[in-house]
Amino acid sequence: MRLVALTVFCLLLSGVAGAAAYFFPVVVAGVGQTGQTVIIPPSVTLGAKTTPAPAASPGAPFTVLLLGSDDDSKFASDHVLTQSMILVRVDPQSRHVAMLSIPRDLWLPLSSGGSGKIDWAYSNGGPSAAMATVERNFHVHIDEYAWIGLKGLIKLIDQLGGIDVLVTNPVLDDFYPDDIGGGYAFGAKRVAVLPGAQHLDGSQALQYVRSRHNDINGDFGRSARQQEVLLAIKAKASTLNAADLPDIVTALKGEFKTSMGLDRVRSLLGVASGFDLANVQQVVLYAPTYTYYPGYYINGNSVVLPHWNQILPVVKASFP
Amino acid sequence: MILRRLAALLFVPLMVAFGSGVYLYLGTLKSKVVKEHAQLPTVTKPKFVLPGTMFVVQDGRIFKLNAGSFTEIGPAGDWSQPALTPDHTRLLAVARAGASSDLYLLDLGGQIVKRLTKNDSKILDANHWAYYPRVSPDGATLFFSFDSPKLVKAAPGVDLSVWSMPLNGTQSQARRWTDPYWYTGGDVSPIPVVGGGLLYVRHSIDPSTAVHAQIYYQTRPFGTGKALTSLADDCSEPALSPDGTQLAMVCSRGKQTAALEVAPFDGGVLGPAKVLLDSGLYASPAWSPDGKALAYLAPAGAAGHFQLWYLALPLPAASATASTSAAGASPASTPRPTTTPAPLAPVQVTQGVDLTGTSAPAWY
Repeated sequence: MRLVALTVFCLLLSGVAGAAAYFFPVVVAGVGQTGQTVIIPPSVTLGAKTTPAPAASPGAPFTVLLLGSDDDSKFASDHVLTQSMILVRVDPQSRHVAMLSIPRDLWLPLSSGGSGKIDWAYSNGGPSAAMATVERNFHVHIDEYAWIGLKGLIKLIDQLGGIDVLVTNPVLDDFYPDDIGGGYAFGAKRVAVLPGAQHLDGSQALQYVRSRHNDINGDFGRSARQQEVLLAIKAKASTLNAADLPDIVTALKGEFKTSMGLDRVRSLLGVASGFDLANVQQVVLYAPTYTYYPGYYINGNSVVLPHWNQILPVVKASFP
Repeated sequence: MILRRLAALLFVPLMVAFGSGVYLYLGTLKSKVVKEHAQLPTVTKPKFVLPGTMFVVQDGRIFKLNAGSFTEIGPAGDWSQPALTPDHTRLLAVARAGASSDLYLLDLGGQIVKRLTKNDSKILDANHWAYYPRVSPDGATLFFSFDSPKLVKAAPGVDLSVWSMPLNGTQSQARRWTDPYWYTGGDVSPIPVVGGGLLYVRHSIDPSTAVHAQIYYQTRPFGTGKALTSLADDCSEPALSPDGTQLAMVCSRGKQTAALEVAPFDGGVLGPAKVLLDSGLYASPAWSPDGKALAYLAPAGAAGHFQLWYLALPLPAASATASTSAAGASPASTPRPTTTPAPLAPVQVTQGVDLTGTSAPAWY
């Protein structure tokens, strides 16, 4: 009897050890990359204060600021620009998702002081500064953030086996940044993504969302493409299960971090499978309706300026 | 005591084996999305035997499908967009090399007969793209999309225009047909028609600056093009039936899904379109040699890899109606009486491959 009990115990122990070894990368990532502490700093220049809202209860709507960055040798570690800023509100109950793309060249007061392009906020003060800048200018509460680097996006999409996208028009660029391979960080290369429905791997998808030089809508057109790819990733991620996580977090090592804990990441994956594209509201702050080009440079920077009277009602409606 | 030690020693490898088994078992639970890798067409067996011979592309390689069997043709390289000459004795294809792409004439076994363009340069922005090769019905003229001229302004413009050149001539004889709407990517998918006209896809913007695709018809170089479809319908990827009376196309209407449609075509006039399939990622339709069926590419399975599909058309399309629009004008809406998809049953031809969605099958 004792021998049987001992055998069962030993097998259970070894089974747990096998499972622990399998999920070890997830645990490491959970400790190192999720649940990042964010302290929203007091505003230096912005009068408006955003009262920290209590942590969203399970099942309650929550808002995530998605940040996508250059993370190549042009920048010091963790002082990168955010080429992509997308505010996402997820309502698990109604299964409604709202996405708002914020133009990287939007000139506004920064939480760290002074004014600048919004993509500087992360560079100057990390995720907390980016969140604070968005909160105080857009009058919205942000619960979480998630940051991904360029290589992280490539690896994520490759781990998902690619994504399916319907490309509306040719995306051609003679001056696409050639900064991923580790060579000259300011080099350029030509890219061509042809129109039509197609399966894109990580590198092709990055070219699709990053190119902007030949887009009639510039950064706004790129923002719309980023939302398309985000929805394609969501569609693919909805078929994942827990056994896929170790490979994904291993691929994303150092290229992804978030304030979300593993619980929320897991629940986010869970609710992703139930969303219908018809329940996704997409907003891009196109010029001239929401923003405008001033026709001059500010401190040598090409910028867009906000029409807050147009932006804030949309934000209020989409991110109540 | 000795027995206990012996038992303990036996337990260690048992525990290691069981723990490893759990580890490996968890690995088998990965979703198909992560596990499923595309196979080469040559190691797969089509589920359905298509009539005739077809050329498709996967991962820069051209494959010939004949009598239910794939064979790879052509030299190594990054090949795409095969197209047949009207006499079905030669193949045109695009070879991409880093910063440029060129057009080649191949025999049906994939051997290079002639390099038709030379678009590479040591200076980055002096390179060019050439795509979408098509030969005129008389076999004399090559049409293609080419990113020249380039616009040099504050933002460098790289947009495709439709060009033509003698198939037996040189690139220096090439002549531009269209003037693209700058910064939209330009004009693609030229189809020369009997009588000298040209069908192509033009990209332009609406008042809200959203970019749309429209199928245009033009009778001469730099002539005023006539829009055959509306801005809102976002129709592209035209394929003309072998007898030239029907046009298959993909219309997305600003969404991330599309409809596969067919409309009668009467040499410049497009009749009411019939929706064959709706709300899918349909790409690159191609007509069967007898004009009674379509092949197209669309994803299948969790991995989302594009497979070849076959769709038999149940009824001959009606003749073209007198739906005219002013030259250069955009029809408010393409006549489309059928909004409910007809109950057609597409047949999945391939399985487990990952065909290139932007390379339409060449079928004869």
